[in-house]
Amino acid sequence: MASDSPNSDRKIVVHLRATGDAPILKQAKFKISGAEKFAKVIDFLCRQLHRETLFVYVNSAFSPNPDELVNDLYENFGFDGKLVVNYACSMAWG
Amino acid sequence: MEAREYVWKGAIPLQIQLHESEVTALPPPPPLLILAPRIGYLPLLIPRVKPHFGGALPPGADTVWFDYNGLPLKWFIPTGVLFDLLCPEPKRPWNLTVHFRGYPSNILVPCEGEDGVKWSFINSLKEAAYIINGNCKNVMNMSQSDQSELWQSVMNGDLEAYQQVSLKLKFGVLEDEYIVKKNSISLRSKESSADTDMAGQAKTGRIPVRLYVCSATEDFDELEDAPEIDNWDKISYINRPVEVHKEEGKYFTLGDAVKALLPAIFTDKSFIDEDVCKTEVEDDKNAPCVSQEDNQDVSGSAEDRTEKNCEAVEPLFSSNTAELKLLRIHGIEPQLEIPFSWVVNNLMHPEHFLHICVFLKVARANHR
Repeated sequence: MASDSPNSDRKIVVHLRATGDAPILKQAKFKISGAEKFAKVIDFLCRQLHRETLFVYVNSAFSPNPDELVNDLYENFGFDGKLVVNYACSMAWG
Repeated sequence: MEAREYVWKGAIPLQIQLHESEVTALPPPPPLLILAPRIGYLPLLIPRVKPHFGGALPPGADTVWFDYNGLPLKWFIPTGVLFDLLCPEPKRPWNLTVHFRGYPSNILVPCEGEDGVKWSFINSLKEAAYIINGNCKNVMNMSQSDQSELWQSVMNGDLEAYQQVSLKLKFGVLEDEYIVKKNSISLRSKESSADTDMAGQAKTGRIPVRLYVCSATEDFDELEDAPEIDNWDKISYINRPVEVHKEEGKYFTLGDAVKALLPAIFTDKSFIDEDVCKTEVEDDKNAPCVSQEDNQDVSGSAEDRTEKNCEAVEPLFSSNTAELKLLRIHGIEPQLEIPFSWVVNNLMHPEHFLHICVFLKVARANHR
């Protein structure tokens, strides 16, 4: 499709960082296709932590819209070849 | 009236009916007619929608959502953008169905009413700030009361209050290449305080954009023949900032921005053939005035309205793979030649994103 960039199928490295009282995951890094939505990252975290709701942020700053593509987030907010995702059980950054 | 005021006052007449499966009263409740602000969000209408239908509902807990022609509407997309995207040929009133049961959580993210919308708004604002400044300290350092004042101004469509409180965010104004540069200068002088966090003032020329791309394989000449969107998968949601490049003696246009956002559809013979366009306008002169949009006057200052009609049916860009059939911002179809700085400064949403809807015609053979 016209909106695809040549990189849209690449894998993005996501670094997970627990914030506040959220439990730390054994696997703090994972790869995900850039064509996936951020919702997939949230789902993954909820399943790993067996929680129905979580607060999930990028760069300790903001919660992206779940519809945003991981690729766009990486392009806009990634650095050092990774996208940093923070998660918390209660609101960490209003 | 300034363009921004038109944008803030823009509204869409909605006719909302209760989904038939939830009607338990006889006679069924009449539809509700309501004006929905373009920059607002559907869940903010719930306090007015619920009392109207409350008496007809089956027992149970309410989780309110809306659909259009069976497509559940994403509540975090501003109402005006939903309308521009899902109604290529604008229909008024816009017929929506409200549901109080059976939230489609496989399609829609849960919404905690007004708080949920506020949360989403503030996070979008932070995201925009991050794109503009490289951090969102300006939003995060805002006091709770300022934050809630900002949100209230958006909820109430109060542009004056919004402008007052958003000054504190110190977003620079993108240099308007159209008018004198007085805006940014006056902003700067106000902010020359002892504040050490000056990030907000650095105009980087990075513009946060949320782009909604609707692609059709069938060609269509009339907007009413545009394919119906019955599934969100048919819309690509692209979040890519536009870097404003400046060249001596030339201004950066909306067309340049679209080119940067969607490089794949651009070819050199992009812009529409002026002659073809003119003829069409001649033919069209006697036709009844096309009702464009509630806030169509936004475009009045910067463009010639007659040409818009022909842009709607002529491809704006074309290439072997795709052609741009229609580009819409706040219900208007701006010409691609207008300066992007004007578009940004006047047509951005209160969360500092510019929402652009585009309709593309893609060649079937190249569909990957």
